[in-house]
Amino acid sequence: MILIAFLGYNSVYFQKLSTHKNQKNVTFDFNLFADSLYFKGILTNTKAIDLNELLVQIKENSDSAFKTHGNRLGIGNSAFFMVKSQGKVSKIDNGQLTIAALNGSFINLETKYIFGNAIRDASGLVKLTDFKTNADFNKVSEALNTVIREKVLPKNISKIKIGDEISFTGALKLSKKEVLGLVILPVFITLKEK
Amino acid sequence: MKYLSLILSLLILACSIKKEVEKPKIAVVISTLNNPWFVVLAESAAENAKKLGYEAKIFDSQNNPATESDNFENLISSGFDAILFNPTDADGSIANILKAKTAKIPVFCMDREVNADDAATSQILSDNYSGCVEIGIEFVKTLREKGKYVEIIGLVGDNNTWARSGGFHSVVDKFPNLKMVAQQSGDFDRNKAMEVLETIMQAQPDIDAVFCGNDAMAMGAYQALQSAGKADKVRVFGFDGASEVVEKIRENKIVATGMQYPKVMAKTAAQYADEYFKGRREFPQRVPVEVELVKSSNANKY
Repeated sequence: MILIAFLGYNSVYFQKLSTHKNQKNVTFDFNLFADSLYFKGILTNTKAIDLNELLVQIKENSDSAFKTHGNRLGIGNSAFFMVKSQGKVSKIDNGQLTIAALNGSFINLETKYIFGNAIRDASGLVKLTDFKTNADFNKVSEALNTVIREKVLPKNISKIKIGDEISFTGALKLSKKEVLGLVILPVFITLKEK
Repeated sequence: MKYLSLILSLLILACSIKKEVEKPKIAVVISTLNNPWFVVLAESAAENAKKLGYEAKIFDSQNNPATESDNFENLISSGFDAILFNPTDADGSIANILKAKTAKIPVFCMDREVNADDAATSQILSDNYSGCVEIGIEFVKTLREKGKYVEIIGLVGDNNTWARSGGFHSVVDKFPNLKMVAQQSGDFDRNKAMEVLETIMQAQPDIDAVFCGNDAMAMGAYQALQSAGKADKVRVFGFDGASEVVEKIRENKIVATGMQYPKVMAKTAAQYADEYFKGRREFPQRVPVEVELVKSSNANKY
């Protein structure tokens, strides 16, 4: 037991951004940083807003909802939101889970195409100014996406089948310009015990 | 005494009129005007600067760092007060920005990033990486995760080239049945891309798709495929949002592109220069501008 606790403790390393900033000439370990970001930050993130609540707020005042809950770096029509919700799995197709929510709406959980900056930006945990170039800033996303796509989600979804009830937290992209489908890139999925 | 005060008043008035006449001058230095996309960026930057009440002049660097360096020497000695800058080279252009900085002239980069975060006053840049991630996903889905493809990249010294290629490959490389059979530079040029693809197809006649780092090259690739009678079989993907490519997407002849907003970047850079003249000194070093995926299902909105 003590050995397991010891190994568990030493399997996760945390690296502060301030350390990174001071290491300009040292190769930065993005994988290590993503590991620490995932296990330290997103997993325990309490900022995720309930999806239904977000949609209600957007209907009432989209500008305010985008400003309060969304994250858009720079200039653009869309923003990323960290949302949480739950429902029953109604379809599983090529890595995409269709979820029937309690209110009758359908949500898609994309577990295969987890790429880009959606999760990094929805989390709000990393700032553009933390990295010297956009290329480095994007490497954070790649490493973080790899952790979630290859380490976390395969375990999360391995036992999930149609009819199961699940809860999940993930990144959602919404646009003020056009209606985008409710496709969420999950950060984690939890199978509810029957 | 009466005459003396009158003369003094006239002198003060003359000085104030001169000050009004001598508006701050803004230089718009553009990597090349041999590409319609950059012409839009240049003209839009100059137009916005003029709307804000400044004189504006466009300098063409002709994709040549030496010409760009000469442009900077000229505009510094000519007394320009701010530079809206589209660099030719991510590393090579830093020295020019630093020359301007030494002369206390703010530089606002547009579209192309330089590899320094302490040279330019601010850099307003297309989010090329994210745009090409979306294109990469569309590419994988269109090809159903398998096939042979060619990548035609832009100028090798331009960060945008690698941001686009990097975003695309961050997706596509995760699918082992998608094989890149050739990757060559088309220098962001239509004719060069056409020639490059024609040559590649002699050795690789059975490709399924071509990803191009800009729309000019996508049009060149499409032209090469048309000449070879393969335009219906080989899928073409571009980047920029050029109107002729959007038109081709509507006709289902090109699959997708990433819509960039050069006018937004130019307007923001001009506004920043205006704010600088009015006393603002703190600017975000990098301002990403969203790129939107254009495909057949939404092409009518663009």
